[in-house]
Amino acid sequence: MDALTAHLSELGHGLVTTVELTVVTTVGAMLLGIIVATLRIAPVPLLRAIGTAYVEVLQNLPLLALLVLFVFALPTIGISFPLFTSAAIVIAAYEGAYLAEAIRAGINTVGVGQAEAARAIGLTFGQSLRHVILPQGLRAVIQPIGNICIALLMNTSLAAAVGVVELTQAANNVNLLEAQPIAVFTGAGLAYMLLALIIGQVTGLLERRLAIVR
Amino acid sequence: MSILKTSFTRRRSLALGATAVAVALAAAGCGGDGGSAPALPGNPGLGGDGVVAQSVYDAAPVATDADIPAGSTMDAIRKRGYLTVGGSLDAPLLSQQNPVTGTIEGFDADMAKLLAKYITGKPEVKTTTIGTQTREAMLQAKSVDVVFQTYTITPQRATQIAFAGPYLTSGLAVAVRKDDTTIKSVKDLAGKTVIVGANTPAVTALPSAAPGSKQVAFGTDPQAVQALLQNRGEAYVQDFTLLASNAKANPGMKVVGEPFTTESYGIGLNRDDAQFKEFINNWLKKIQADGTWAKVWEGTLGSVVEGGAPTPPALGSADGS
Repeated sequence: MDALTAHLSELGHGLVTTVELTVVTTVGAMLLGIIVATLRIAPVPLLRAIGTAYVEVLQNLPLLALLVLFVFALPTIGISFPLFTSAAIVIAAYEGAYLAEAIRAGINTVGVGQAEAARAIGLTFGQSLRHVILPQGLRAVIQPIGNICIALLMNTSLAAAVGVVELTQAANNVNLLEAQPIAVFTGAGLAYMLLALIIGQVTGLLERRLAIVR
Repeated sequence: MSILKTSFTRRRSLALGATAVAVALAAAGCGGDGGSAPALPGNPGLGGDGVVAQSVYDAAPVATDADIPAGSTMDAIRKRGYLTVGGSLDAPLLSQQNPVTGTIEGFDADMAKLLAKYITGKPEVKTTTIGTQTREAMLQAKSVDVVFQTYTITPQRATQIAFAGPYLTSGLAVAVRKDDTTIKSVKDLAGKTVIVGANTPAVTALPSAAPGSKQVAFGTDPQAVQALLQNRGEAYVQDFTLLASNAKANPGMKVVGEPFTTESYGIGLNRDDAQFKEFINNWLKKIQADGTWAKVWEGTLGSVVEGGAPTPPALGSADGS
């Protein structure tokens, strides 16, 4: 236990970085997810193709491979971001693909009659999406979105491989000094579990408040 | 290179064995006896190609029955017929799997095979890839017999496991980009951004050696080299043997100054087995005395470090061994 208590500040910094990375990427992934889901249901075939291509490419590549490519391959063509930014962009893009599919599933639960009625009263595609389809579609998939957010939290640990000192990397560093892997990684694991529980609780709360009972 | 190496490895038992015998004869003729650079014709200064000759294995010692009491760990290993080793597959010159042949080559890997030969009579090992995070736990659970993985001996680790050795000493050094003229030694790193390997001794050594330096850690050595070349940090701090090998392969970087720490690498063992530790220390004494140690060093690390095999470290010389 001493191994944990003696290094609370290092582990605390790691935890803060993990939380920051999770919040930033969740927001980014949600925005991307909504945009891509919209593309996939758009009436224009080209936009649908772009949305499908995005989802298929990002869902079918390992996140670690994407991270390493983004961090080490882009600088060779002159594009370089700070490491935290790189990790945030890649994780947001990757999880955005998963969120897009969850959101599309939600949109599909909204009856066709709703969309037809929206168009009948003169709303444009954008207006019907914003005021009729998305508000109902998103409420149907709060729980799946919460699950993807928990997966996102766990995936932020891969940022350690590209030099971001988040919770996993901080635990590695403490273990290097203390050689107490079981205590250190149990502690880090409990911190991840706590964060996941918080996300789960928030998801449950939102679902009870917002879900439409049909 | 790979073509050369393939044919080299395939005919290792014949061609390399013959070469090594020739080299041994030449060395004996020159009166050189350990510590001198190998007199390989056509390859002055640097000896070896990262592969240890079969003759070294053939000549390596095997424990007598008197050394292996019934019921001991060594006895169990001899009955099993192979040694289980915790190690890496991605450490150049130390323990790296040859993608062509599938064999694991390097100083650590060869030492493990020689230990296996000492116990069982044949160099049979079963290598488990383990992370630096799990070595103590693996040894405590007896999932592996020994750990050969540039395992730095520290007093903290010695409270969890036992170290035989040290069997190799090394040190951390500084590498910079070729065009960099401002960094001459580790002292110049204060306040700079420094690339380190995640879970390497550099992580803990840098704060005192270069106060105020900011660390960026990467998971693997090739990533760290790439990061240095792409300006993600001013310097890369790593084991000097590894840096020397990197600098040889990458013209864009150079090693500056001398190593600024002394790392003593030990053989990780279960802590409750004092008999096994003593047995391995005796083996280390034997292979250091008969020149096997120096031959393994020359065949592996000696291919990038100039000046011939160093004096092996004294057993028990590190705090925690």
